[in-house]
Amino acid sequence: MKKLSVFFMLLALALPLAAQDLASIEKRVTVKKLDNGLTVIVMERPEAPVFSFATMVNVGGAQEVPGITGLAHMFEHMAFKGTDKVGTTDSAAEQAALQKVEVAYAAYDRARRDPINHDEAKIAELEKSWKSAIDAANKYVVANEFTKILQRAGATGINAFTSNDETGYFYSLPSNRVELWAYLDSERFLHPVFREFYKERDVVFEERRMRTESNPFGRLMEQELATAFTAHPYGQPVVGWPSDLHTFSATDAAAFYKKYYVPANMVIAVVGDVKSAEVMPLIEKYFGRLPKAPAPEPLRTVEPPQKAERTVVLRETSQPIYLEGYHRGSATDPDAAVYSTIAGILSQGRTSRLYRSLVRDKKIAANVSSFEAFPGDKYPTLFAFFGIPTAGHSASDLVEPIHAEIDRLRNEDVTPEELQSVKTRAKAALLRQLDSNFGMALQLASYQNRYGDWRELFQEVDKIDKVTAADIRRVANAMFTPENRTIGMIESTKKASAAAPKGDAK
Amino acid sequence: MRPLRKIALGLAAALVAAAPLAAQVQSYKDIKTPALHPLKIEQPKRIQLANGMVIFLLEDHELPLIRGSARIRGGGRDVPADKVGLISILGESWRTGGTESKTGDQLDDLLEARAARLETSGSDDSTTVGFNLLKGDFDFVFPLFVDLLQHPAFRQEKIDLAKTRLNTTISRRNDDPAGIANREAIRLAYGAESVYARDDEYATVAAVTRDDVLAFHKRFVHPNNIILGMVGDFDAAAMEQKLRAAFESWPKGPQASRVAPSDIHPAKPGVYFIGKDDVTQSNIAIVGPGIVRNNPDWYAVAIMNEIFGGGFSSRLLNEIRSNRGLAYAVGGGISAPYDHPGVFRTAMGTKANTTIESVDALRGEINKLVEKPITAQEVADAKEAILNAFVFTFDSKQKLLNQQMLLEFYGYPSDYFQRYAANIEKVTPADVERVAKKYISPNQLAVLVVGKEKDFEKPLSSLGEVQKIDITIPEPGQKPGAKAAAPAASNAEGVALAKKVRDFVGGQAKIDAVKATRSTGTMSVKTPAGPMEMEFDNLMQYPDSHRNVMKTPMGEVTMIVTPDVAYMSGPMGTQDMPGSQTTAMRNDSRADLLTVLRNIDKPGYTFTVTGTEKVGDVNAQVLEIGTGASTMKWYIDPSSGKLLRKVSQGRQGEVITEYTEWKTFGGLNLPVTFTITAGGQPAGGGKINVIEVNPTVDPKVFEKPATK
Repeated sequence: MKKLSVFFMLLALALPLAAQDLASIEKRVTVKKLDNGLTVIVMERPEAPVFSFATMVNVGGAQEVPGITGLAHMFEHMAFKGTDKVGTTDSAAEQAALQKVEVAYAAYDRARRDPINHDEAKIAELEKSWKSAIDAANKYVVANEFTKILQRAGATGINAFTSNDETGYFYSLPSNRVELWAYLDSERFLHPVFREFYKERDVVFEERRMRTESNPFGRLMEQELATAFTAHPYGQPVVGWPSDLHTFSATDAAAFYKKYYVPANMVIAVVGDVKSAEVMPLIEKYFGRLPKAPAPEPLRTVEPPQKAERTVVLRETSQPIYLEGYHRGSATDPDAAVYSTIAGILSQGRTSRLYRSLVRDKKIAANVSSFEAFPGDKYPTLFAFFGIPTAGHSASDLVEPIHAEIDRLRNEDVTPEELQSVKTRAKAALLRQLDSNFGMALQLASYQNRYGDWRELFQEVDKIDKVTAADIRRVANAMFTPENRTIGMIESTKKASAAAPKGDAK
Repeated sequence: MRPLRKIALGLAAALVAAAPLAAQVQSYKDIKTPALHPLKIEQPKRIQLANGMVIFLLEDHELPLIRGSARIRGGGRDVPADKVGLISILGESWRTGGTESKTGDQLDDLLEARAARLETSGSDDSTTVGFNLLKGDFDFVFPLFVDLLQHPAFRQEKIDLAKTRLNTTISRRNDDPAGIANREAIRLAYGAESVYARDDEYATVAAVTRDDVLAFHKRFVHPNNIILGMVGDFDAAAMEQKLRAAFESWPKGPQASRVAPSDIHPAKPGVYFIGKDDVTQSNIAIVGPGIVRNNPDWYAVAIMNEIFGGGFSSRLLNEIRSNRGLAYAVGGGISAPYDHPGVFRTAMGTKANTTIESVDALRGEINKLVEKPITAQEVADAKEAILNAFVFTFDSKQKLLNQQMLLEFYGYPSDYFQRYAANIEKVTPADVERVAKKYISPNQLAVLVVGKEKDFEKPLSSLGEVQKIDITIPEPGQKPGAKAAAPAASNAEGVALAKKVRDFVGGQAKIDAVKATRSTGTMSVKTPAGPMEMEFDNLMQYPDSHRNVMKTPMGEVTMIVTPDVAYMSGPMGTQDMPGSQTTAMRNDSRADLLTVLRNIDKPGYTFTVTGTEKVGDVNAQVLEIGTGASTMKWYIDPSSGKLLRKVSQGRQGEVITEYTEWKTFGGLNLPVTFTITAGGQPAGGGKINVIEVNPTVDPKVFEKPATK
């Protein structure tokens, strides 16, 4: 198998790089849509007796509305709490106890949020009942049994993430544990139990404190997005607003799960020492049990065009940071490849324009980068710039030099050398991803989810290859306008200590 | 390609239809685990050139890529304290500063157009020049790699740029509370001035010159200090020829030291606090000493780590996160670097008003680990997890190459990782319990809290006396280190006891009159190959010049350290002493008996009586001494003022020196016979035959020795 693919690569040297990779990879990839609507991708990569998988669910922060922000991420945490068979000493009794927790919580929650009849004694009493209901339910919990089983089986990298666009679950196992994975991970979505929900809500709140509240980058990003998006849920934090994190219930989580965790809304990719002919039937046997249900309705809200420049400034004791974003199209926009190319020319490597201007020559930024898509790309999103001023410089010192580079893009064609360099690097970057089971599983599932076809991972490079200097000027002129811009800054109320010395020649 | 895929799909469908549906699985336990496909471990080929360069080559034909790196001995540890930051500046400007024939900007243009990466970096113990390229570009990029390795230009403007960027990093180091907690926990564990913990400062960055950077390159970048590893789509035999052609004629240079400095001075146990008002979460760390990887207890420690703080099944995660909802991030364990002791550390983040509760919870888990038995089931589960995941150690060629380079660098056997599983298997629950007790002393740990105290549920002082750590970034002109967590001030009892020792030795007047001492004698040092006998001739010229000549079976070694110079000379020639070793020797001088006694009333030294302990039959008083560079304990007979034992921190852990015989020279009562125990093992001992007090000292003996 290995020899064959190498042989094929040698034969194909004359082909463009991406097409060659696609052809070689395609021979090792099998895709199947199960009867219940679940899409499964298997890629054979028998380099070592291990495999990785990624389950990508087409749900993220963007599916939340005010009141339940943070719930997609909360469910991701609950997916590690086990099932009706794993994590409990008595499933039936536990289910009954958990029902009582929900009833008690609803009563307590309504009372404490009642704006008129605010009866402290009554609230305290209801809170007590809720907490004793929790204690009663906890008696049946076998803590972290789900992950313990996996760890004992040799799992590594057990984790998950929630973004604005999607929720991903993944880990790697020795390849003789494929069936254990297929069983446990299908059970996880077939019979989830929302045990220890309210304690885990506290854990998630700690995650918010760590990533957002206690971190200057986190604080700035939350404000930037809340300012740039007025209607679309990309303006809401994935981790959730504090009030919602204090309020939503396991009942809310169950409703969210029922709506979005349907097979038609999920893709599973398995990569490694597996034979598609052997693993596909196993996956079908276990994941085929997920009940068929209609895919959720696509999102309604579209961010209206921005009419005026917006600026949000955080005055803090921490050092300055600069961020600016421009609205752009989604990943499926016909100009998606142009956005990538612009980001490459502006900020990839030491030949990039922003590095050479702001870091190397002007020495006003220690780092400056551009992101083609922030915070997601399933929906129309932002093209963003991000800069770290050097010690002694303020965030606003970066505005003019960044805009000067943007104006160059609008007014002059990029050079053929720059364009070619970005295209070459896009191809090489793709190639460099291919030697990791985990990386490939994540990419295949993610691209299948986003584009309905994993091959887009390879075709994207071909699209970049077709981008012209004229495309770049056209897109830059349409996108980089003042009224389409939102600036976010941290300005320091404390000067960088003694305007730290510049590198002095001796 | 489409028809092919269709066939594959069709085949899969046919198999599904044909396969009899297995009986319904009721529990994960019903699932069978077939035998694992055999793991083919293909080790890289090791080649050593005549000039000492070690090369590892491993073919990997999966993708048309070639990756390689040269790891060069010598790093941040070898940089003097007043130039900390040199290695970061060198790590960046080595590449951006270009070569003698091409500027860094020209290299950027040439390499990025080919999507080739050629980068340099520096770390504590080494520097690295690495590349990652499409195989078709090899013949173009390889000469650039060789040129960069051997002939970097370190152009001034790129050194300046690296300094500007580094200063920016310094200016931001107090913005992120988790970053503060990590950094300061390490400083508590190793000592703020230790080479393992010290920080870049504006002043030390400003002190680094281009000449320093060039000198560092010249001192270390020689083939005999380099391990070069390559993996990728090449023919190993042909590659070997290319590498030989490129490197065989490169002459050998001075050998870099392979001994890690023993520069570790843990903070006193207690509660330390750093105030930070713009956060809602407190970062908590509890730290103490760890072990070196070559410690035979490492395997039991690894299992203890897994049980205590490793991943989703650990006690810390179960209790602190799942059961109590106190933290999102929580973890801990003993680290074991390959050539110096690591640290024991537990860390977590929690909301301000559960800070004290969380410290108590962490302490509770630490106590439980030491006091309550670790169950056989916990050990069995941890072993099962480690052994089943073991296959991931060898699941890529890049990992196999990296492992061999690492083992070569630190002088470990090349089958270390292959034997790992067997060593884990041998560990018993009794072993785990023993190492937990041996390496974790709950009442000897430092607790660090970073957060907004006003919002804590109770004052931090409810945990005990609190020492505040000032993390204000020193201004560019300020000398670094001035703000290090200060050791406790002397107590009156401590100063009195130190004076008693001074009287026993001969009194203040006589000691102050000593200009120099010269001790000659013999000592025996335990080595893996058996005891090694040597003669020594040790000259101290007070206050701070030191020359030690040792006649060993391998030849004569001379070490000279004065405030201005530091040399070592031996069978391999004469060279500047590595910065770390110089620091260690200067620190030793500060701990010398007469030096300490001359400084009882002077600033910089502290004396504290901490208790009494039996030494033999004597109820010795324990005197803790801070020398400004390290701390040590003297065990003193209170009736006479005689020093019986000294305990200091060395590379192998605690070093205990017992003084068994004293003699009078020039009116001074001095110890002449001593035995040394290091890390719980006998390490040798010695006898001084003669101590000359105030010998005639020719200033020339402190000059650079001629190469023999």
